[in-house]
Amino acid sequence: MSLNLQDYAKYFSGYTELRAQENRIVQVAFVKGNNTVNSRSATSGISARVYMDGSWGFASNPEISDQAAKAVIQAATDNAIFLDSKERKAKGPLPKVPVRSENDFSTKKPRLAQKELVDFMRELDDHIAATYPNLASRTVALNCLDMEKMLVTSDGSYSYSLVPRTIISISLSFIKDGEPVEFGKPYGGLGHFEDLFSSPEDLFDKVEEQYHHLMKKSEGVFPEAGLKTCVLDAELAGILAHEAIGHTTEADMVLTGSVAQGKVGQLVASPLVTLVDFAHSFNGATCPVPVYVDDEGTEAKDAVLIQDGILKGYMHNKESAGHFGVEPTGNARAYQFSDEPLIRMRNTAILPGTDRLEDMIASIDDGYYLIQPSNGQADSTSEFMFGITLGYEIKNGKLGRAIKDTTISGVAFDMLKTVTMVSSDMKWTNAGMCGKKQPIPVGMGGPAIKCKINIGGR
Amino acid sequence: MANPRQVARSGLDALLKAGADKAQCVATFTEKHELNVELGEFTLLRTTFDARVGLTAIKDNRRGSTSINKSDDESIDKAAGEVLAIAAASAPDEAFDIAESQPPAEFSSGSDSPDLDKMHSSMKHLIQQVKGKYPKLVIMQAIMDFTHSRSCFVNSNNVDFVTNKGVYNCTFLFSSRDEDKVSSFNYTTFSLRDLERDLLECGSLDILFKQSTEQIVTKPLEGKFVGDVIITPDCMNDLLFFIERTLSDGPMISGTSIYKDKLGQQIANPMFTLHSRPVSDEICNGYFVTSDGYAAQNSTIIESGVLKSYLLSLYGARKTGLDRAVNMGGAYVVDPGDTSLDHMIKSVERGILLARFSGGYPSDNGDFSGVAKNSYLIENGEIKYPISESMISGNFAEMLKNIKAISKERIDYGFSILPWIQVSGITISGK
Repeated sequence: MSLNLQDYAKYFSGYTELRAQENRIVQVAFVKGNNTVNSRSATSGISARVYMDGSWGFASNPEISDQAAKAVIQAATDNAIFLDSKERKAKGPLPKVPVRSENDFSTKKPRLAQKELVDFMRELDDHIAATYPNLASRTVALNCLDMEKMLVTSDGSYSYSLVPRTIISISLSFIKDGEPVEFGKPYGGLGHFEDLFSSPEDLFDKVEEQYHHLMKKSEGVFPEAGLKTCVLDAELAGILAHEAIGHTTEADMVLTGSVAQGKVGQLVASPLVTLVDFAHSFNGATCPVPVYVDDEGTEAKDAVLIQDGILKGYMHNKESAGHFGVEPTGNARAYQFSDEPLIRMRNTAILPGTDRLEDMIASIDDGYYLIQPSNGQADSTSEFMFGITLGYEIKNGKLGRAIKDTTISGVAFDMLKTVTMVSSDMKWTNAGMCGKKQPIPVGMGGPAIKCKINIGGR
Repeated sequence: MANPRQVARSGLDALLKAGADKAQCVATFTEKHELNVELGEFTLLRTTFDARVGLTAIKDNRRGSTSINKSDDESIDKAAGEVLAIAAASAPDEAFDIAESQPPAEFSSGSDSPDLDKMHSSMKHLIQQVKGKYPKLVIMQAIMDFTHSRSCFVNSNNVDFVTNKGVYNCTFLFSSRDEDKVSSFNYTTFSLRDLERDLLECGSLDILFKQSTEQIVTKPLEGKFVGDVIITPDCMNDLLFFIERTLSDGPMISGTSIYKDKLGQQIANPMFTLHSRPVSDEICNGYFVTSDGYAAQNSTIIESGVLKSYLLSLYGARKTGLDRAVNMGGAYVVDPGDTSLDHMIKSVERGILLARFSGGYPSDNGDFSGVAKNSYLIENGEIKYPISESMISGNFAEMLKNIKAISKERIDYGFSILPWIQVSGITISGK
């Protein structure tokens, strides 16, 4: 980031964003003791985006240099002119919201060398191999992502951010009756490796717990397909907040006709449900994906989506905020230097309630306690699904047999009205990537909730 | 403009100079021109240039790799030094190797530069056609890009491959709306060598647009039954991904692949033949060189239901003692069957036409479950109505054996060519 982007503001001829960015990735993986992945990569460059009466032009270049900065500003301007000459939309200017900010979440400790990272992962793998000899296979994988960005805009905004994320994924496989059964789980989150993991031993208890669940899962049964009363554990409530509601309340999705269109002010969930896309902090603590200034140069603010069951608003970039006549919320985010900002979630969470998890499970005669999600997908209709890799039957208020991998689904605005209990604790995760033209890290949070939901099975 | 061969050569030289026993370098320069449409309006023209230099070194049976998007000598020399340090950190493994010597070759496909005016007019024409033919359809997002890449792969065994490739890619995300009622969104993507044809005639676009407008009003399925499912070509990806993953390095090396001892054995109904044809004329968006440095060849993975090839890399082959695949998979072509789609539908007593599947990742043993999206109930040989809130579950490995029919008709996506496939024994459940 050696270039001072503010020196190039004089080349802006209209609304312009100029961003320099570097994404750095470190990956190490052991598959059944084999060091299959051992790599580092860096992707950096500079991009400009120009707005002209409703048409956008964008250009990027992998060099971060004086020449490249001028070239991308010119090329983005030319692209906006090309599109405007064809379309002549004559839309008005964008909202002006200048802000200045610098946020650096990098570690203050000395950085570890690749060998120390490999040795850490090998020690973790050796421990699993020695402690659980009946496993058919195991995979331990380290994935570190640093996103470093610098932005200036023609509005006068300036921001610099460095946000690291470190995830260790552990997957265990067991052969039962000739067929593989697997259970994987990610650990880690915001921060550099050095701030999150001090010794492989810190993960041993978690591996033990994971192994215990895998053994139960290997004896697991197919859930009974159909609409069931379930307790969704905190990690599922987080993905529910993201998939089921979050996507339908992104203003670009609203404009394309999502089910949230026209429903602001209406009751869309149980009054026990409050759902917020937090910009950077919750209850005084930093969220997993802190965004202080978005990639359009807007100060990021919390977007309250549902309050006490009532739909309150949407997530916006500058253009959608202009369309709806509201303030932009700072949800415009880009993944790579060569990506344009899109309306994306940041840290989407259902807020905690007052119930205890034990009471919630005890209140169900016949249902399921669902613990670990995998992937998820939303729909314009608010029908959502997500994969479940760990869950247990609930029979007469007690946990029963584990279940095999399954999928749950529902229509969010119907399903959220069935919420009758919300636990008082809250967990955050940010191991996954949300996909919407570009991938991007997102934070998800929530308490456990009791609700009725469709479960796939036999 | 940087020369990929010069950059790749300087990367290889830097790795050898830094002490590598064996080394490889691939340099790729990409230029993309992308037109974006939202809500039926052009919103953005995006031009991106990128470089990618991938460096891999093996020293004392230890391997390291890195990837940068800079191509100047200083950046490459620095990266080469880092690769050797990464390699020194790795666990030694005698299976690490690079591709052996092959005759140098240059490959090319598609044009060198985009026709921007034609991109704009093709998309504009499509938007006009949709307004007339499907007035309730909302093009939520359409992206058309022309991507041109110039690449060179070299290694210390004298492998030297140059590739030039240009291709148009189109992605559409759409739903339909009537007052306050909205259909599930659907999407499709296809690749084209040129823009000679109407976009509406390409891939499955017209079929899916028509279906979308039919899906504004749906009915949830009631109850649960075991029935037939007709999988549409757009919905085949989950099945193909399961096959590809199960035959690839990870599950084969760890020994958890359910097909690990099945080479030469029947794993699917004899009607099913699956090819991977990355260098075929019928595929405009294939590839010429594998990531481990071999000239890609076409292959048949499953022939008349019999497993003919795994999808092992050089490393995977050396770890398992099995043959290396002649390609990296992808560019899938499924042979057509002898049943028309109409006849297939008529043969279904009770089941669904599955047009999109939204489900959790399948288990390693092939178990899957998920939501049947943009799908229709079939009863007594007739499509009855579009459904919602309906789930299906089954097992991919069983499904391959339970294929009842494959359609004569196929969809050409440019990167794959796929038919409709009818399977039995799927659990279908509603509310």
